[in-house]
Amino acid sequence: MRAYIVGGSAVKVDRHFEYSYRDLAYKVLSSCEACGNAEYIVVASALPELMAHQVDLGVHIVQWAGRRVPVVRVESGESSGIAAVEVATSLIHSGTARKVVVLGVEKVTEYPTYIANRMYSLILDYEFEVLRGVSPPVYAALAMRELLKVGFSRECFSSWAVKMHENATRIPHAMLKFKISPESFKEAQVLAEPVTLYDSFALGDGASAIALSSEPVGYEVAVEVVYGSSEVGLPAYARDRVSELQASTKLLKQLRERFGVDLRKVTVELHDSYTPYPIALLYSLGYIDTRCELSELEFVNLSGGLKARGHPIGATGVYQVYEVFKLLTGGFDGVSVSSEVGVVHSMSGPDNASRVLLLRRWR
Amino acid sequence: MKLSVPQFWRVKESLYEMILTRCLTCGRVSVFKRPVCLYCGSTKVVHEKSQGVGVVESFTKVYYKQDSSEDRLPGTVAVVRLSEGVKIVGEVVGVKVDEVREGMVVEAVLRRYISDDPYGVIYYGLKFKPLKQNSTR
Repeated sequence: MRAYIVGGSAVKVDRHFEYSYRDLAYKVLSSCEACGNAEYIVVASALPELMAHQVDLGVHIVQWAGRRVPVVRVESGESSGIAAVEVATSLIHSGTARKVVVLGVEKVTEYPTYIANRMYSLILDYEFEVLRGVSPPVYAALAMRELLKVGFSRECFSSWAVKMHENATRIPHAMLKFKISPESFKEAQVLAEPVTLYDSFALGDGASAIALSSEPVGYEVAVEVVYGSSEVGLPAYARDRVSELQASTKLLKQLRERFGVDLRKVTVELHDSYTPYPIALLYSLGYIDTRCELSELEFVNLSGGLKARGHPIGATGVYQVYEVFKLLTGGFDGVSVSSEVGVVHSMSGPDNASRVLLLRRWR
Repeated sequence: MKLSVPQFWRVKESLYEMILTRCLTCGRVSVFKRPVCLYCGSTKVVHEKSQGVGVVESFTKVYYKQDSSEDRLPGTVAVVRLSEGVKIVGEVVGVKVDEVREGMVVEAVLRRYISDDPYGVIYYGLKFKPLKQNSTR
């Protein structure tokens, strides 16, 4: 049985101090017309135990939303959103449910940023990495240093961020809808040399939902989930190079070899939590060399990516899928693509877990 | 009390000593005491104690503010290649952050990681300091 995305919705990624986890979840479900009559809900969320002292979040969301349907929560760090889509498509493929809603929701502004940073760092191994002073921007910095050594310029990473901010200006639910200049990097707060705040994702609350159906007929638009795959990589400290994103590279190479996917020709959302990662990935796939020509990658992260649309950790993957779905079926105001194929890539940490989805417009 | 005593006690060998896992199947060595080879999945492994001496291969000066890390900023986190050939990531202390260099020879040293303020449990573990330098932080 095949699975089709038949609708979706997204709340603006932002500091939603007025909304809780369940408020955001209800808000996005209410605005998703295609999400009605779901037989199952899969909730993607990474941090509710830490941020809101809440276990079994899925059940409490479903009760709050007044829907008496089975629910399960999926957590796989930053890649929770795509992991939830994997579970949802399995429910459809197995015949367990004919319609499944995937709901990504995350609150990251319940505490001051330095406390949220601590919670976010727990996507790494607490005993082997976090206690030893390692945090996500540390790995990003080590990766950037490696890429600088092979010949990339510092401006390459800045240009990624500039492009993401420009893309986000046209996306209604993006968090940072303003342009930045390469010069602004000189003033940016340093997180871990040479990585600055401008190389990092925007941390915001968010909720996004997509409706998956076994049957595309009867819906205005539909996008088929053609293929999905995931891999677990080696811990970054155990690789020859931190910037060696083996799991992600393998998955995207598989898409190229099995389905002929060329990232220069399809709509693609790449996980760009820190600027070195998409650059490392595009380099290892052979789409760029150290001159860092990004102009051919016209349809990459039209959403603004994690960098500028924002990164509500466990919900981000659902945003990515919603965005590709929208782009393949008409686009956002002023942003459209001719491509019928889309790719979503997500990872947790520096390629600890990596996931890809291949989507194709059905109608 | 926010910190768990049993959790820390369980991993004491990896925190107070530098234990390596050598795979008898593929021959690769990984850091920390593991039941399974990180690279090939073999359970035919032996555990060895590292000398705790290595060379800084890469490093970053860290300003990233996190709960409980404030008194360690700015700090240095380095990739250290141990004399046994395996890499490990850890903090470098006992030296000014601007003086850490690639190629610097360092040795493991026991230092405070985190504590339950103000009178709670204190977790200790290994960091690195320059070899032949006795200053502490």
